[in-house]
Amino acid sequence: MWGKVYTGFGYWDASAWILFFFIAAFFTLWLRSQGRSDYKKGTDQDEIYWSGNEVPEDGEDITVPASSAYWGFRKALEPFYKGLLGMHTGIATDIVGYYVIAVAFLAVFILLV
Amino acid sequence: MNWNEHLPALILIIPLFGAFIAPVCSLGGKTARNILLVAISFLTLIVAFMLWRHVLANGISYYVMGGDKFNLSLPSGMALPVRIILEVDAFSAFMALCGAIVSFAGALFSVNYMNRFTGMGRFVSLYCLLTAGMIGMMVTGDIFNFFIFIEISSIASFGLIAFWRDKPTAIEASFKYALISQVGSMFILIAAGALYGRYNMLNMAAIGSVLKMGSMEKLVLVFLVGSLAMKCGTFPMHMWLPDAYAEAPTGVTCLLVAVSQASLYGLMRVCFSIYGATMGSSFIPWMLIVFGLASMFFGVSMAVVQHEIKRLMGYHSVSQVGYMLLGLGVGLLVLDDARAMADYGFTAIKGGVFHIFNYTMYKALLFLTAGAIYYATGKKDLNEMGGLARRMPYTTFMFVIAAAAISGLPPFNGFVSKLLIYESSFAVHPFLAVVALVTSVLTLASFVKVFQTAFLGPEKSSLAKVQEVPAAMLIGMVVLTAAILGASLFPSWTLSTLVEPAARALVDQSGYIGAILGGGM
Amino acid sequence: MIGNAPFFVVGVLFLMGLLGIFMTKNLIKIAIAVSILGSSVNIFLVALGYRTGGTIPVHFLAGEGSTMVMPTPQAMTLTAIVIALATTALLLSLIMLVWRHYGTIDVDEIRRLRG
Repeated sequence: MWGKVYTGFGYWDASAWILFFFIAAFFTLWLRSQGRSDYKKGTDQDEIYWSGNEVPEDGEDITVPASSAYWGFRKALEPFYKGLLGMHTGIATDIVGYYVIAVAFLAVFILLV
Repeated sequence: MNWNEHLPALILIIPLFGAFIAPVCSLGGKTARNILLVAISFLTLIVAFMLWRHVLANGISYYVMGGDKFNLSLPSGMALPVRIILEVDAFSAFMALCGAIVSFAGALFSVNYMNRFTGMGRFVSLYCLLTAGMIGMMVTGDIFNFFIFIEISSIASFGLIAFWRDKPTAIEASFKYALISQVGSMFILIAAGALYGRYNMLNMAAIGSVLKMGSMEKLVLVFLVGSLAMKCGTFPMHMWLPDAYAEAPTGVTCLLVAVSQASLYGLMRVCFSIYGATMGSSFIPWMLIVFGLASMFFGVSMAVVQHEIKRLMGYHSVSQVGYMLLGLGVGLLVLDDARAMADYGFTAIKGGVFHIFNYTMYKALLFLTAGAIYYATGKKDLNEMGGLARRMPYTTFMFVIAAAAISGLPPFNGFVSKLLIYESSFAVHPFLAVVALVTSVLTLASFVKVFQTAFLGPEKSSLAKVQEVPAAMLIGMVVLTAAILGASLFPSWTLSTLVEPAARALVDQSGYIGAILGGGM
Repeated sequence: MIGNAPFFVVGVLFLMGLLGIFMTKNLIKIAIAVSILGSSVNIFLVALGYRTGGTIPVHFLAGEGSTMVMPTPQAMTLTAIVIALATTALLLSLIMLVWRHYGTIDVDEIRRLRG
């Protein structure tokens, strides 16, 4: 039940990972317990530190919307995404067209090879 | 009478009965209808489980419809099976079990989720019909019946995708799916007809026993492979899939995931059991691998840039199906090479089959969490969400488990199946494993995005009144979470009891044929 | 040669149906093209059912012949016709709803879901 899964080139053992998880959790919790609980509440000490900038009152102002996530990734691969999004026209006959072309491609090549 | 032998018929009858009794039952009010929905899907699950146990213990079981006796595949001394035969081997039973679990979870979820809408009698009816069609595709041993069940499930899913018929996009998605799947089924039907014209039979096992490769058989193979690959959402033919998954009510999306797996099952049945070693060339296996790689990479790169939560997950379905095609394609590639098969081919098939189980569970769970978010907030766009972890702790917890599993983070089950696929496809060519790894990274990236924008971050003022979803929805998700955690914590047990018999049954073409034709090939 | 005529008709009809889907922008015409596609497959199945020298599989008043043809293709065709009826009805009702929501049945304009 707890045995290893052999992949032919190596193995995977869930119990070893779980053991590691507990060891890591122990160290993490131990490190956390070393923190000081005698900080002064209500002073600068429990203010949020945000790279030295002023923290806005309302958190909504500084959220990054999902459309802007991975902006750099998208920008770097712009030609790729332009082609890929251009393919997804959303027109019903185009969808059928890709399917028919794929089947035709397969049909021609399986008869050739 | 040993009624265990009637299980292949029972598993079809129960959801079909549910589909036709639902309109009557919904006269009895909301509660009666909800009880019917849950009871039918639970019974299906029980029967699927018993069928799976029965098949593992007693080998392939088959059931002859309309014959003198239910267990007589060749009546009155005929050399060919002429009746409608249901044939369930370990692979079919495994798929039916996966499908039934998902159907049960989706039904539990739908009880609350669809509570606000009218026309629920039709919903329950179509839901049961879709379950029946899906299970039918998995248990049938007859290529024409496979077409019938694929059409039953398609028609039920057109209705269910367009269930919210006041939403323009739902109608649009349903229309696109209807159009492409109608063209696809015509290709399947022409392939079934061509096989009948050539061999005078429709039984898959019997065709497999006499099949000889010629031009006609090649075209039939292409038509079947192309259409079924379209049905499970392979790359250049996947455009209907994100639309349909995103617009269907969530309980249905969850079941549609299992239905697409039924098409994948059909694809594998055609490739391994009908054609198998007689396929001759390595063209189709390589095409499956190429389709798999393309689906994986392009699917996930489309997913990264989506910002509508269910649409994003729909594109992930495309990329996950690629993994299975890769694993099973590598297995098919080395099918007649005993040494390579033992070296890495069987591992690849095991990885592919295990990934089917994992994918069905975690993708269904992901769609259910997306539906829970929609139920609680009424929003689908990730841009408008934020800070939901405080309001919906249980949903968040289950989302994290499912997202970690789909991204292949150890120790979750997705990691185990992906590991099997990486290491075996590496043996064919390192490039295959590289694409699979890159896909896994991008999968993680896009789910980090979902997690960060929907669940973390400061709370939005528009979401201040959000509450955790009701218990029945949570139970539906818990069923799938339990399946994921079970497969994660006991991977070797899952592999040896659930996956290996299925993988062995898949590659055992003579066993599949022999069960019907009495061992005489 | 003449025995293959039904199959030529099937091929021509099938291609006509397939091309019809792409040649027109009108959703109703696309639905008609899909029906033509279905009909061509049905003709294919019926044509498969003919065997030279065979007779109908009816025991009484069926003539002299004793070699009967299996009625499987006919059964398949009937099933396929029923299924085609259901899907055509669904397609047409979906087109009706599309018209109601979008105000057009031009396939190029029904693309709110894309990308």
